[in-house]
Amino acid sequence: MEKPLFLIGSSQTRFGEHWDKSLRDLAREVVDGAIEHSPATALDIDMVIVANMIGEVASDQAHMGAMVASFLPHKPPAIRVEAACASGSVAIHTACALLESNRAQTILVIGAEKMTDATNDQIASALMGAADSEQDRPAGLTFPGIFGLVAQRYMHDYGLTRDQLSLVSAVHHRQALENPFAQFRMEVKPEAVSKSSPIADPLRLLDCSPISDGAAACILSTKYQSNFRVAASQLTTDTLSLADRPSLTSFSASKKAMEKALAEAAIDRDEISHVETHDCFSIAAVINMEDLGFANEGDGISIYRELYERPTMMGLQVNKSGGLKACGHPVAATGIKQFIDIAKQLKAAGTRYGLSHNFGGAGATCGLHILEHLQ
Amino acid sequence: MPESSPSIARRQAEERRRMQEGTILSFTTLAHPPEHFGAGHRSIALIKLADGSKVMAPLTGSKPAIGMMVIPRMRLSYVAKDHLRIYEVAYEIPATKTAPVSEETIAFPGYILALTGPSGVGKTTIARMLVSMFSTSSRNVPILTTRTKKKGDDGEYVYMTKKEFDRLQRAGEIIAATNIPSRSEDRWYGYRASDIKAIWNAGLLPIVITEMHLLQGLGEHFGRRSILSFGLLPPGKSKRAMLSSLLHRLRGRGRETEENIQDRLKNAELDLAFFKERRDLFDHLIVNEDLDVVASLFRETVPALGKA
Repeated sequence: MEKPLFLIGSSQTRFGEHWDKSLRDLAREVVDGAIEHSPATALDIDMVIVANMIGEVASDQAHMGAMVASFLPHKPPAIRVEAACASGSVAIHTACALLESNRAQTILVIGAEKMTDATNDQIASALMGAADSEQDRPAGLTFPGIFGLVAQRYMHDYGLTRDQLSLVSAVHHRQALENPFAQFRMEVKPEAVSKSSPIADPLRLLDCSPISDGAAACILSTKYQSNFRVAASQLTTDTLSLADRPSLTSFSASKKAMEKALAEAAIDRDEISHVETHDCFSIAAVINMEDLGFANEGDGISIYRELYERPTMMGLQVNKSGGLKACGHPVAATGIKQFIDIAKQLKAAGTRYGLSHNFGGAGATCGLHILEHLQ
Repeated sequence: MPESSPSIARRQAEERRRMQEGTILSFTTLAHPPEHFGAGHRSIALIKLADGSKVMAPLTGSKPAIGMMVIPRMRLSYVAKDHLRIYEVAYEIPATKTAPVSEETIAFPGYILALTGPSGVGKTTIARMLVSMFSTSSRNVPILTTRTKKKGDDGEYVYMTKKEFDRLQRAGEIIAATNIPSRSEDRWYGYRASDIKAIWNAGLLPIVITEMHLLQGLGEHFGRRSILSFGLLPPGKSKRAMLSSLLHRLRGRGRETEENIQDRLKNAELDLAFFKERRDLFDHLIVNEDLDVVASLFRETVPALGKA
């Protein structure tokens, strides 16, 4: 990073079905919460970055920068960013760039998504906007379908079994028990995952992250300091469609982002104690472990096997929040939730480095952040 | 999704480019495809085409596997809101067994003409017409059956006991078999590979007069592409009108009991539904109203027959 940059406040709603709250209500709740929990006042905020993907489809609301800025008395300059499921981390990355360039000193970053007001078909169609509209959508693909293709090929190439894959969601659900903000705080056995209804062969219902309402916000500042320094902020991209990639079983954007982030933070991979990774579908979590370098190629499941069998023995903690699967996945809020959850986890564990790994589409955009907990 | 005519036209142009053979890189079956594709399951594959490009496309046929070769087929995908018919290229998994290799002496190597339709639709009449029209180039494939000989049978059947039929089936000589439910007896029908091969070896085109299960069996054995498949529909605008025309013809034959006729009608209803469900098994659906029209259609569709 060009200069010391701190996470000075954060807030999130519980993720889940909020029938009593609109997109605006969810956003307002976390804006108020983040300011309340930071040393800065509302008037210190000199810019707002809003992450949102499907506001137009699900809430008839575009122009969300102005919507959120209008919650603040001085209506600071505001922009909205969109990079599908990576919108949240792209918003943080944008804030970092603006802070590093001295364009602003304190920025409010917020991600909000209201998904349960629309029908499942409308949501599935809106989410397909994250894929290639000319190559993927006309075939009749949905996002579970895209990751079904990935899982099928991965199983073929590396011999991963259906029952092994089921460990991923089981681990995420167990970890969500401890997270008061999680959508599904209940244990799910691996057998239940294997037996849940088929969605996109070989993926089943309990391999898929849910449709959720929720918002998360954080305040980043160069003016105020805290115990949490942003050690790296990286953004990488890949082709929109899987059809244009050489491999179905690895997301190169994740690999590139990880390499650059470790260099930027000037740390080794094994200094990282906590990871929040983008498990939109269980197979993604397995592949991410490999792309981020925590497991060898074809062996990502070994991390989850350890987490399932010997959770306390693991040096590396993955998706303590419950991940997208059990904590919920209000698309654009996810990247910000991961980031602030890492801060909570580092504080609780008293460890130094944590990583939030967020991607959009089938890894077409990857936003990756390393937080340093200063003790 | 943009459903404007220009966007549809652009997409259709792209579909034409996709008419190439390819290899499956991965596949999945969606339990809940997008709304306008209908409620059924939809299989989709990432396919590497012959020109090296990769496409996402629907997949038909059973038991896909990574690395399998697939064949393109243009088909109706759905009807858009403004009644535009949207076509798409789906890739078909060919049957694992392929037709016998061609030899130069064989005029119709590995090629079968199939007529499928419900009882009474006029299959036998059309087949006779074809054989008389193209007597030098085609021959009917005999049907093995366990049913008793009946008045009106005209040499199209080879009669045998159930025991003999079972023996041939176990020996793998019968390549397609079906049991047609009847109240009076246990009726099995089937085709022998040797009969079809003998016709090929004689340089002739085998014609099968068949029904849905046997057609599927032939497709699985020789490959769907070896069959030029015609579905025969009775005249009539509705299902009820079609069934009534069949009833009329069956009674007119005067060779079956009323009980048998009712059985045949029941089967015919299934056959009519089958045309809709397995449209992919038919290259042409013909309404058998006027024999001359049907004859000229065959002349156009099977030019080799006309020349032979």
